[in-house]
Amino acid sequence: MTRLLLVIGVAAILSRVSSGASPQFYPDDPLAREPESQDASKAQPYFQGSLFEMTTNLFVTADYKPSGHRAQNINTIDEVPDSNWFTNRIGSTRVTVEDLVRGPNAGVPPDPSRWTLMREKTSGSHPGFTARDARGDIWFLEFDPTYFPEGATGAVEVATKIFWALGYNQVESFLTTFDPARVDFDPKATLRRPSGARTRFTKDDMNAVLERVARRPDGTYRVIAGRLLPGKVLGGFQYDGTRPDDPNDIIAHEHRRELRALHVFGAWTNLTDLKASNTLDTLVTENGRTVVKHYLQDVGSTFGMCNDLHEWDLSYEHFYQTGTTLRRLLSFGFALSPWQTIRYVEYPSIGKFEGDRFDPRAWRPQTPTAAYLELRDDDAFWAAQRVAAFTDELIRAAVHTGEYSGPSAEKYLADVLIKRRDKVVRTYLTAVNPIVSPRLEPAGRLTFDNAAFAAGVASGLVTYRASWFRFDNTTGETQPLAQTAGTTTSIDAPRNLPTAPGAFVGVDIAVDSETYASWRRPIRAYFRRGDAQWTLVGFERLPDNTIETPDSTRRERPTR
Amino acid sequence: MLASTMQKCGATRMNTAWWLVLVIVMSPLPSFAQTPSEPTREAVIEGAQAEKLNDLHPYEPGRMEGLLNRAEDILVNGVPRWHPFFDNAYYGGGFTLGAGYAHHVSPYSMVDVRGSYTVLGYKLLEAEFTSPRLFHRRGSLSVLGGWREATQAAFYGLGMGTALQDRTNFDFQEPYGSTTFTFWPTRRLFMLRGGVELSRWSQREGEGSFPSVDKVYTPTTLPGVGTTTTYVHSQGTVGFDWRTSPGYSRRGGFYGVTLHDYTDHDEKLGFRQVDYEAIQHFPILRESWVISLRGYAQTSYTKDDQQIPFFLLPYVGSGSTMRGFESHRFRDQNRIVAQAEWRIMVNRFIDTAFFFDAGKVTARRADLDFTGLKSDYGFGVRFHGPFGTPLRVDVARSPEGTQLVMSAHAMF
Repeated sequence: MTRLLLVIGVAAILSRVSSGASPQFYPDDPLAREPESQDASKAQPYFQGSLFEMTTNLFVTADYKPSGHRAQNINTIDEVPDSNWFTNRIGSTRVTVEDLVRGPNAGVPPDPSRWTLMREKTSGSHPGFTARDARGDIWFLEFDPTYFPEGATGAVEVATKIFWALGYNQVESFLTTFDPARVDFDPKATLRRPSGARTRFTKDDMNAVLERVARRPDGTYRVIAGRLLPGKVLGGFQYDGTRPDDPNDIIAHEHRRELRALHVFGAWTNLTDLKASNTLDTLVTENGRTVVKHYLQDVGSTFGMCNDLHEWDLSYEHFYQTGTTLRRLLSFGFALSPWQTIRYVEYPSIGKFEGDRFDPRAWRPQTPTAAYLELRDDDAFWAAQRVAAFTDELIRAAVHTGEYSGPSAEKYLADVLIKRRDKVVRTYLTAVNPIVSPRLEPAGRLTFDNAAFAAGVASGLVTYRASWFRFDNTTGETQPLAQTAGTTTSIDAPRNLPTAPGAFVGVDIAVDSETYASWRRPIRAYFRRGDAQWTLVGFERLPDNTIETPDSTRRERPTR
Repeated sequence: MLASTMQKCGATRMNTAWWLVLVIVMSPLPSFAQTPSEPTREAVIEGAQAEKLNDLHPYEPGRMEGLLNRAEDILVNGVPRWHPFFDNAYYGGGFTLGAGYAHHVSPYSMVDVRGSYTVLGYKLLEAEFTSPRLFHRRGSLSVLGGWREATQAAFYGLGMGTALQDRTNFDFQEPYGSTTFTFWPTRRLFMLRGGVELSRWSQREGEGSFPSVDKVYTPTTLPGVGTTTTYVHSQGTVGFDWRTSPGYSRRGGFYGVTLHDYTDHDEKLGFRQVDYEAIQHFPILRESWVISLRGYAQTSYTKDDQQIPFFLLPYVGSGSTMRGFESHRFRDQNRIVAQAEWRIMVNRFIDTAFFFDAGKVTARRADLDFTGLKSDYGFGVRFHGPFGTPLRVDVARSPEGTQLVMSAHAMF
């Protein structure tokens, strides 16, 4: 029913375009920021149960058929505007090493000279507490399990920086120290016992946690401290549908490009735990209006950090897959899966993380989400551009924030991230027509970039063919103008382009490549004439309803 | 350039989608009305957001979500009071149904009252107090009291030379009370356990289609026939356990020795026993296969001129010893069992296994070797979680036929 309504809604919008009732491009296109115009203060907390989410994702969402629709929160030039979900950073603006190392951290780090424990951490696979530091600020402390010393804390620290740079709202996180000799217990701190009763949190409760975590030789513990987020906590966001209590949330989450793109970013960083409880919505007041802000709250399930030291199939299979279940059942396990034979150089602080056998298209989170499944090649291309923007220097700087005591572990993690980055970029920047940033000069020359060539993941002789047309922004009608071509990323425009202010022209640019057949599908760009220059107002890499999705079963094959 | 026109206006939740249809097709957009000459994208979106104001409501979980949330709450935070109970009074009782009721008497300590009944009329009723968090989580205490009856337990005679048609039945009733204390000095790996039990065994005429044991044997030919005996059973265990969980493990092992002393108040049927158990799991191919081995031996020692009652003799043949044979198929003074399983991970919740059991009972400890073993083999499916195996179904084949084993426990 929902799908039907979407189709009806889309059809209705399209019919209005074709009937000329509204323009295709508005004067304020392309939007740089998604409006959030309404007061959302009535939004109510809701915490979706993990059992329901896991069951639904494994047994219902897993059979979800992608709609093929373009992401719906992109602006007219195929970019994601800033919002309370996402802020354009790397790939859109310059992110320096200093920016990256600072990440989301705006305040001062915690003062660990004394911790006052408030309660035990109740979610996530790694132990921790909620505690006040010596200054009275509230933090969520997470420790390293004994089998991953420096691993869990390092993963949170490094991944927080990476996902902040990628544009997601992140929690301020600091690596710090927990000294059990300098601990107080909040008189109000309680712990829920097996009987259901809450009784006072005791030193023995603390010790029960500390016995399961990695201890330093001096008796202290390395912890990652996440600052309490401002605002009212509303629970995690879901990867499909919208919040029914947030008036500004009108785009189904599975059609938000930044959520689809977690398929790509997740593969790069091995963010396997994409469940709602690792996200968080908060109600905050910004510019006098109460709005919902959306966080990727916990990105610690990255790199080789598993729920358990022996969780070998992570990132290769969902928790349950009918196909692999049947295959193993019928073959008695002789039909091997890749994770059974991969060789890992396994540092305890990194875990099972490698780049040689990594295949971005074959990567799997613990459970699939609708947004993960809705990823199209244009979404993946957009994401891969951001991954490509991470230079070796930035990656090594991000990894260095993990404060790994072993330099070889730090180098290994950075090397693998670089290797995986290159695979992500090579996979997705070559899968579709890689033309980006078209500019139409007043003098009549079209220039653009080839992202695949620029990233060094493709090369060879190609021919760029441009088909020009006039465009009536009111009726949507097109009128062919001319065709031009060239072998460089700068080709002639026709001489008869309109010159009146407000006129529109469009151009389809295909790339003839002997290696990449998919590049022949043209991108389409629209320009609006200003007083003296052309402005890009529209860009489409793939049309709507492209059913092809970047699944492991569909790979672009070179034509020779 | 089609999709870009709908950007930021398309939502797939039903109400929002209906709104899209209504707003875009049927009614002039408020934003257009405000600035009809030059509408903006921002105004269109703001209009959509304003329309949604009319249909705001809190998230309402559906029926299935509500049920699963409730289940999760019980599993994670809940205090399960009523619970199923599938342990029966004695092996061989057949399909078992039972229930229990648990009540916490302190934050960690609880009393569990439970009972079961089998298709053959075996009855079990007991209450257990458990305190799992003593001595800073190093110790746990169990105090158990109950009563059980097996109405047609099997006895085929002594030794390995008996035949299926030699079967006789016996009934016993046993009220019992015990205390067991388990101590982990290092909280893991090294385990000490000690306990004492007071029980009263009353062996009575067996029911069922087979002759009662007292029709075939006498107290002279078979010690324990027709007896009522009160035992003080004390025991002590030393073990090393580094499995992830006794209920389900793909790696690690357990090695333990248990000493038993059965003191008969009348000094007629007192004896001692020693159990030796070794379990080792060998993971292969990243634990997708596991070779699991178990060796178990039990030796008996009589006290002076006392004897061991037949119903407390070591046996082989059951869902946990030799699965292809009838329960308690072979009994004698000592026993040895060797088991091997090739466990295959199907997915995170299901394993299958090919297995092989071999074992025998002997009258003399010196005969406890690997000659003359009976054996069986089979295939099983196990439904498990990270720490437990709530359902195990094994089909075992032996020279004496095929057995179906259903259990709520891991094999080993």
